Amino acid sequence: MKEKRYVKATALSLLVLAAPAIRLQAASTAAVGIPFPLIERFENFTMKDGIPSHKVHCVLPAADGKLWLGTYKGLLVREDGKFRKIGTEDGLTHPMIMCLAEDPRSGDLWIGTMRGLNRYSAGRITTYTQTSSGLPNNVVYGLDVIGESLWVATAAGLGVLDLKTGAWTIYDQSNTVMHEPWVYSVKGAKDRVFVGVWGAGILEYEFSSGVFKEHRDPDRDFHFDLVPDDGPVNDITSWIAWDQGILWQATYFGMSRYDGSRWRTWQEKKSPLLSNFLNFIWARGRVAWVGTDRGVSVTDGDTWVNYRTSEKGEGLVEITRPGQPAETKTMSTHLANDFVLGLWADDREAWFATSDGLSHATFIPTKESITHASNK
Amino acid sequence: MKRTGILIRVGILVLMAAVAFLGHRFGGEAHVRRRIGQPPLAKASCFYCHFVSTDRLLWAKPRPHHDSPAGLVVSHDGKRLYIALDDRDEVAEADIATRKVLRRAKVPGGPYGLAMDASGKTLFVTCRQADRLALLDTEMLNETGSLPVGMGPAAVAFCRTAAGDRLIVANSMSDDISVISLAPLKELARPAAGREPFAVAATSDGARAFVANRLVGLSSIKTMPASEVTVIDPVTARVVRRDALESAHLSEGVGLDESHSWALTPLVKVRNMVPITQVASGWVMSSGLAISDLKRGDVVQIPLDEANDYFADPSAVAVDAAGHRAFVASGGADVVTVVDLDRLAAWVQKASAAERQEAIYDLSLSAEYVVGRIPTRRNPRQLVLSPDGATLLVAEHLEDSILVVDANKLVPLGRIVLGDGGTDDPIRRGERMFTTAAYTFQHQFSCRSCHPDGHVDGLSYDFDGDGIGDNLLDNRSLQGVAGTGPFKWNGKNATLEIQCGPRFAKVLMRTDPFPPKQLRDLTTFIKSLPPPRVARNKDGKLTPSQERGRAIFFATKTPDGKEIPLSRRCVTCHAPPLYSVRLPFNIGTKGPHDSTEAFDTPHLLGVADTAPYLHDGRAQSLEELWTIYNTNDLHGVSSYMNKIQLNDLVEFLKTL
Repeated sequence: MKEKRYVKATALSLLVLAAPAIRLQAASTAAVGIPFPLIERFENFTMKDGIPSHKVHCVLPAADGKLWLGTYKGLLVREDGKFRKIGTEDGLTHPMIMCLAEDPRSGDLWIGTMRGLNRYSAGRITTYTQTSSGLPNNVVYGLDVIGESLWVATAAGLGVLDLKTGAWTIYDQSNTVMHEPWVYSVKGAKDRVFVGVWGAGILEYEFSSGVFKEHRDPDRDFHFDLVPDDGPVNDITSWIAWDQGILWQATYFGMSRYDGSRWRTWQEKKSPLLSNFLNFIWARGRVAWVGTDRGVSVTDGDTWVNYRTSEKGEGLVEITRPGQPAETKTMSTHLANDFVLGLWADDREAWFATSDGLSHATFIPTKESITHASNK
Repeated sequence: MKRTGILIRVGILVLMAAVAFLGHRFGGEAHVRRRIGQPPLAKASCFYCHFVSTDRLLWAKPRPHHDSPAGLVVSHDGKRLYIALDDRDEVAEADIATRKVLRRAKVPGGPYGLAMDASGKTLFVTCRQADRLALLDTEMLNETGSLPVGMGPAAVAFCRTAAGDRLIVANSMSDDISVISLAPLKELARPAAGREPFAVAATSDGARAFVANRLVGLSSIKTMPASEVTVIDPVTARVVRRDALESAHLSEGVGLDESHSWALTPLVKVRNMVPITQVASGWVMSSGLAISDLKRGDVVQIPLDEANDYFADPSAVAVDAAGHRAFVASGGADVVTVVDLDRLAAWVQKASAAERQEAIYDLSLSAEYVVGRIPTRRNPRQLVLSPDGATLLVAEHLEDSILVVDANKLVPLGRIVLGDGGTDDPIRRGERMFTTAAYTFQHQFSCRSCHPDGHVDGLSYDFDGDGIGDNLLDNRSLQGVAGTGPFKWNGKNATLEIQCGPRFAKVLMRTDPFPPKQLRDLTTFIKSLPPPRVARNKDGKLTPSQERGRAIFFATKTPDGKEIPLSRRCVTCHAPPLYSVRLPFNIGTKGPHDSTEAFDTPHLLGVADTAPYLHDGRAQSLEELWTIYNTNDLHGVSSYMNKIQLNDLVEFLKTL
C-alpha cells in the first residue's frame, strides 16, 4: 500500500516537473516563427456579467491592478473580479465613454466622453467641458498623458492641458497645418507627438521646434491606395499607435506603418489584414494589434495572425508567415464580438472592447514566458 | 501784501471747489456717461477713474513685521522648539526648559511649516511665499539646501518608508501635494489635492500621509459643499483615497491617533444654504473634529462646541503618543480644547450609525469627551507636543509668544516670548479683531471663519433678508480690497467702516457692533491685505497666449474690425490698475430672487484665485462667465471669440 502511494507520488511529481516542458512543446509547435504572442483562449464578459451595455468602447488595465472599461452606458471598474459602474450620477459629464488614459505618475484616470473630459482621482471626479474650461470641444475621442501635459483629441481640435498650471493650449486649423478639425487620436512618441485627424491624415509635432508637420495620403483617394507604401494609406485616420520608433495608422480604408523615414501600407485585398475598416490600433514593441469590424489582426508587418469568428460561431485563428500559405485553426473560444472597438495588450494578456462585451485573452506560453514564470 | 496773497489763495481754492462742484453737478454725469458708454447707475467720484494708483494703497506700502509664530516642531530629545516666523522670514530655536529663544536663522520666503528628519539633524521648512522647501542644519541653524515645490507650501511632514525617507508637502495655492525623496533630494510627483491643502501628517510606518484641505471643492451653488482629507501613499506618491468632509471646511490641521486608527481633522461645520439671519439659532457655523478611520476612511464628525458657547476656528490638532488625548487650538476663541480620545472611542463604539451621522449637530455631545479648555492669549493657531507627551506648546500667533503647558495637568507653565505682540501697530490690532469670535453671538465665528487669510472660502451664503435660503451671494475676497469701494455686491456700503459697522453686526454678528476704535483697526487690517499672489513667468513677461489675451481685454474692435460698444469693453468697467471703475453695472445676471439687476464691479487683482464668480457664485470657472452666463453680450462682447481667444483671455486674467 505504502509502495503504491510512493509510486503515485513519484509519478505525480514527475508530471508536475514535466508540465512546463509539455506546455513548452505545445507552445513551440504553435508559435514557430511568430515573433509575438499567440492567443490560447478568450474569456468573455457581457451584460450578463454586469456590463451595462452591449458596446464596450475602450479598455485599460491600470498600474494598480484595476481594469477600467469605457462603455456606452458609463465607466466600469473591475476590482476583485466584480464590475462596478461609475456614471453621470457619480459626476461624470456623460455616460458614453470614448477613451481612457492613465497618468503614469499620479495614477489619475482621464476619461473622454461624448460630452466632456473627466478626471478620476482616487474616487473624486473633476469635470472639464468646453464651457467650464479651456477644453476645445466636448466630444473627446482620444487622450494621452505626455510628460506633464494631457493631450486631448476632440471634435474641434487638439487641446493640451498643462497639468501643473492648468493652462490650456488649443491647436486647430487656425494655428496649425491641420486641414480638418476632427482629431481622433493623439500619441506621445519620445520627443514628439503624433496626432491622428479624421480626414487630414497625421500631424507630427516636434517639441524642440514647436512646429507641426503633416503626413497626408499622397494620392488623396478615399477608396484606393493607388501607390502602396508612398505615405499614409488614407486620410481618414481612425486611430494611431506608437511604440519603439514605429507609428501605426488605422483608417477606414487600410493600415499604415511609419518608421520615421519609410511608410508601408496594407489593405485587405493585398494582405492578410482582416478588413479595411479599422477602429483601433495598439502598438506593443514592434507589433501592431488591430481592432477591425471583422476581428483582430496582429502583425509585425511581415507575419500576420488573425482572430475572428466563423459563421458557425467557432473561434478561428489564421496564421500567415512570410512566404508561406496561411494556415487556419479552430479555437475552443472566440471573441465576444468581432467588431472590435478598442484593445490593450502586453506580453502576458490582451483585452478587447467589442460591440457586444469584453474579451480577455490569455496567450500560449512561450519559452520566455515559462522561464519567467518559473523564475518568479 | 500778505493779505492779498492769502486772498488769492482762498480765491483759487473757492474757484477750484466751484469747478469741481459744478462739474460734478452738471458735467460729471455726462462725463461718466461718455466714459462708460451708458448712464451710470450710481454716483461716481472723480477718483474712481482719475488719480488711481495702487502705490497709495495701504497694502502696497511698507508695514511693520511681527514675530508671529507659525509652524512648530520639537527636537527628538524634547529640549528644543523650532518656530517658523513667516512674517520675519526667520526660524527661531528656543530652549523649552528655560523658555528662552536661543538663535534665529534667516529663511527667505515666508517660512511657515516645519518638520524634522529622523536623525534630528535636518529641519525642513516650507516657504509659503517663495514656493520652495528649505533645508536647515539644526546644529548650525543655517540653510543647507532648497527645492522648488508647488505654490504656497503651507505644511510638510517627514516619514520613513521602505523605499527611503519621504517628505510630503501641502501646496496650498496650487492645490497639490509635492512628494519628495530625500536621497536624492527631488520631487517624485505632485498629485492633486483638494482645494487649499494646508496640513499634513504621516503614519509612523510611513505607509500613509493624510493631507487636510482648507476649502471645499468647487461645485454647483445649490449642492452641499464638501472638503476632503487626501490620503497619499508616500512610496508611490499616489492618492489612494479622498475622505469627504461633508458640509465642512477650513481644516487647517490634521493629527493621527494610531492607537484608535484615526485621523483627526478640525473643521468648521458650515451651513451656507441656511439664511445667514439664522445665526441666533446656531445654525450657521459650529466647530468640530472629523474622525476618519485610517484604513477605511469612514468619517464621523463630532462637535467641539457647547450648546450655548462656541469655540471658533479650530485650526490645529496634536495627539499624544499614547493616543489618549487630542489638543485642538481654537484661534477664534483663544482656547485649546482637550479631547479624551478613549472616552470618544467609547462613545463611537456604542453609538448607532444614525447617531454617528447626526453627532455634529448635537453640541451637548462634547461633554462626553471634552475634558478641558486651556485658555490662551490671542489666536492660538498651531500646537505641538513634546515627544514624551508631557509638554504642550501652543503658538499664540497674534501675541508673538508660545504658551508652554503641562499636558498632563493641563496647566500653563509659562511662555516663550518671541516679540512684543505688536499692539502699537493698528494693522496687528486689526488682525486681532479680524480673528476673534468675541464679537459674534455666542462666539460662533470670526471674520476669519469666512475669510481665511482675508481671502475667500469658496462658498456662497444666503445673505438676503428673504429668509428662504434661496438667494445666495458669493463670498468675496478681502485681499486687495483697499480702494475698491463701494462694497457689497449691491455697492451700497461706501466704505469698509460702513461695511463692517453696526448694520453688519445686527444682521450677521447678532451682537453689539465693534467699538469705533476697534472698527478702525479692523478696517486698517483689511486694507493692508495685498491681492492674492498669482503665478507668473519667472521673468515677469507674459506668455504669447497671455499677450493675446491682454489684447482681447483691451480691445476696442473685434478681430473682423467691428467696433465693440464702449459699454461692453472689458476695460471700460475693469479699468486698471484696480481693474474696476467701482460702479455697478447690469451684466444680465439678475437671478429670480435678486432685488436688483445692477451689481458692483469687482476688482480683478488675483481673480484667478477667487472662484466661484458672479454675485451669486453661479460661475465655477472664468470660462463659464462667457460661455454660459454671457449669452447676450452684456458682460463684454464675447460672442465673437473662439475657444483659443477665450483661453487666451482667461490666461491673461490669471496674471492680474
